Amino acid sequence: MARRLSRAAQVGAAIVVIYAVVSVAAPWLAPHLPDAVFVGGAFEPPSHDFWLGTDNLGRDVLSRVLYGGRAVLLMAGSATAISVAIGGTLGMLLGLRRGLLDQVLMRLLDVVMSVPPIIFALLLIGALGPSAPLIVVVVGLLYTPNVTRVMRAATLAVAVEDFILAARARGESGAAIVLRELLPNVAGALVIEFSVRTGFAAIFISGLGFLGFGAPPPTPDWGIMINEGRSTMDASIWPVAAPAACLALMVTSLNLFTDGVARAIDRAAR
Amino acid sequence: MSRPLARLVGARLLLSLLSLFAVSVIVFAVMEALPGDTAQRILGRDATAQSLAVLRAQLHLERPAVERYGEWLGGVLHGDFGTSLVARRPVLPYIAAHLGNSLLLAGIALVLHIPLAVGLGLLGAATRRDGPIDTAISAAALLGMSLPEFVVGIVLISILATTLGWFPPLALLDEAHSVGAVISTLFLPVLTLNFAMTAYVLRQTRNAMFDVLRSDYVRMATLRGLPRGHVLLHHALPNALAPAINAIALNAGWLVGGVVVVEVVFNYPGLGRLLVESISFHDVPMIQASALVLSASYITINLAADMATVLLTPKLRVN
Repeated sequence: MARRLSRAAQVGAAIVVIYAVVSVAAPWLAPHLPDAVFVGGAFEPPSHDFWLGTDNLGRDVLSRVLYGGRAVLLMAGSATAISVAIGGTLGMLLGLRRGLLDQVLMRLLDVVMSVPPIIFALLLIGALGPSAPLIVVVVGLLYTPNVTRVMRAATLAVAVEDFILAARARGESGAAIVLRELLPNVAGALVIEFSVRTGFAAIFISGLGFLGFGAPPPTPDWGIMINEGRSTMDASIWPVAAPAACLALMVTSLNLFTDGVARAIDRAAR
Repeated sequence: MSRPLARLVGARLLLSLLSLFAVSVIVFAVMEALPGDTAQRILGRDATAQSLAVLRAQLHLERPAVERYGEWLGGVLHGDFGTSLVARRPVLPYIAAHLGNSLLLAGIALVLHIPLAVGLGLLGAATRRDGPIDTAISAAALLGMSLPEFVVGIVLISILATTLGWFPPLALLDEAHSVGAVISTLFLPVLTLNFAMTAYVLRQTRNAMFDVLRSDYVRMATLRGLPRGHVLLHHALPNALAPAINAIALNAGWLVGGVVVVEVVFNYPGLGRLLVESISFHDVPMIQASALVLSASYITINLAADMATVLLTPKLRVN
C-alpha cells in the first residue's frame, strides 16, 4: 500500500479529524446548552451571542449543531464499527476457508441484502421505538453483508498468493495466518470499507432523523434538526443550513479520503 | 439462450423467490414486536376487557403466530391485504394508487437518468484526464454523492420554489389536472433523485472509460490514425458500458429507497410516504402491505437489472 496520499485525500482526512476533535470537545466549545431555550429569542439572526442564530424555539443553532455532530459521528462510527468487525471477520474467515459454510452463508447474505435497507430500518425502528442504541445496531447489521462480501473478495484475491501457501505449509495456525499474513494485505480494503460506510451511515442515520425515526430528544441529531427547521425556513434559514452544511462537508471529506486511499492502493498494485 | 445462461437465470429467479418469502416473514415478524395486539389497535385505548376478548376470538388472535402468518400470506397471494386500521377500508386500492404514483416518479427519473449519466461520463472521458473539465465533473460527482437526497430536495425547494417561484414546493400530484401541471409538479422530485444517481454513474463511466482508453486496442486504433470521436464511440464506449450499466442497475434499486425520502420531502402521494405515515399511525395492515410491495419492487428491479447486465455484457454471457 502506497504511503503517499493525494493532497485532496489529506485535506479530507484532516477535516474528518477536526470533526472528531470538535465532537469530543463539544461541551467545552458550545457557548450554550443545546436545549437551553431563550424566551422571546426565536429565529434570531446570527449575532455575537448566537453565532448561527436561534431556531424556532429560541435555542442556539451553533450549540445544537456541535452536539448534533457528536451524536451523528458517534452513532455512524459505532454502527460502522459493528459492521466492519462482524463483516470483516466473517469475510476473511469465509474467504480463507471456503467450503460448504461459505456457500450457505453467502447465499443467506444475498437474501438479506435483497431487502431494501431503508424499509428494513423503518420497520424495525418503527416497531421497537427509536433509540440511539437500536439505530446503531440496526444500521450496523444492515451494512454487515456488504462488508462481508467486499472483505471476502479481497481475501480470495490474497489467499492464492505464495506467502499464504507457504504459511500453511509451515503449519501455522489459522489465527496466525489471518493476523500476520492476511490482515496486512487486506488492511487497505478494510480502511476503505470503514471510511465509506461511515459516510453512508451518517447519511442514513440523518435520513432516519429526517423521516422522524431518529434518536429521541434531547439528542439534536442533524437530520432531526433539518426536519424541525424545514417548515419555518421562511423565518430563518440557519437552523436548516447549518446542520445540512455540516453533514455535507463531513461526508464529502470522508469520500475524498476514501477516494485517495483507493487510488493509492490502485497505484501500488499497478 | 445457452445452457450456462439459462442456469444463471434460473438460479437468480429462485433466489428472488426466496428473498420475497424472507421479506414476507420479516415484515410479519417485525409487526408482532409492536406493543399490543390487533384487537387493541382496532378498539383503541379505552376498550373494555370484555370487548377485547370478543374481538380477539373473532380475529382468532389466540392462535400461534405461524398460523396467522400463513393466513395473512394466503390473503396476500389472493390480493387481500386486509383492512386499514385508520381508514377502515380495504388496503389494496390505497396500495395500488400509491404504487402507481411512485412508479410514475421513479420511472421518469430513470428514463431521464440513463442518457444524461452516460453522456456526461463520455464528455468527462473525452477530455484530458485530470484536466479542468474532468476535475470539475469529478468534483461535482463527489459532491453529489456526499449530499443526502433530503438536503438536495430542501435546497432545490428553497431556491427554485420558495425564492424564484418556478415550481410548486410540494408535489401534490392529486391537484395537478393538466399535463403541464403534472410536469411542473414532478420536476423537483425528479431532479432531486437524478442528482444523486447521476453522480454515481458518472464516476463509474468515467473510471471505466479511462481504463479502456489505456488498453492496447484503443491505443492501436489511435495509432492507426482513426479520429478521436470514432475511437471513443466505436472502440472504447462498448467496452466501458458494462460498469455503466451495472451502476445504472444499482441506481434503479437505489430508487426504491430514494423515493421514500423524496416523497416525504415533497409530500408526494407515493408508496414510500404511505409507509412512513402508516408506521407513525401503527396501521399494521397498511405497513405490511406497503413494505411488502416496496420490497417486492426492489427485488424485481434487481432481478431485471442483473439480467440486463448479463445480457448486455458479452464477457459475462460466455462465462
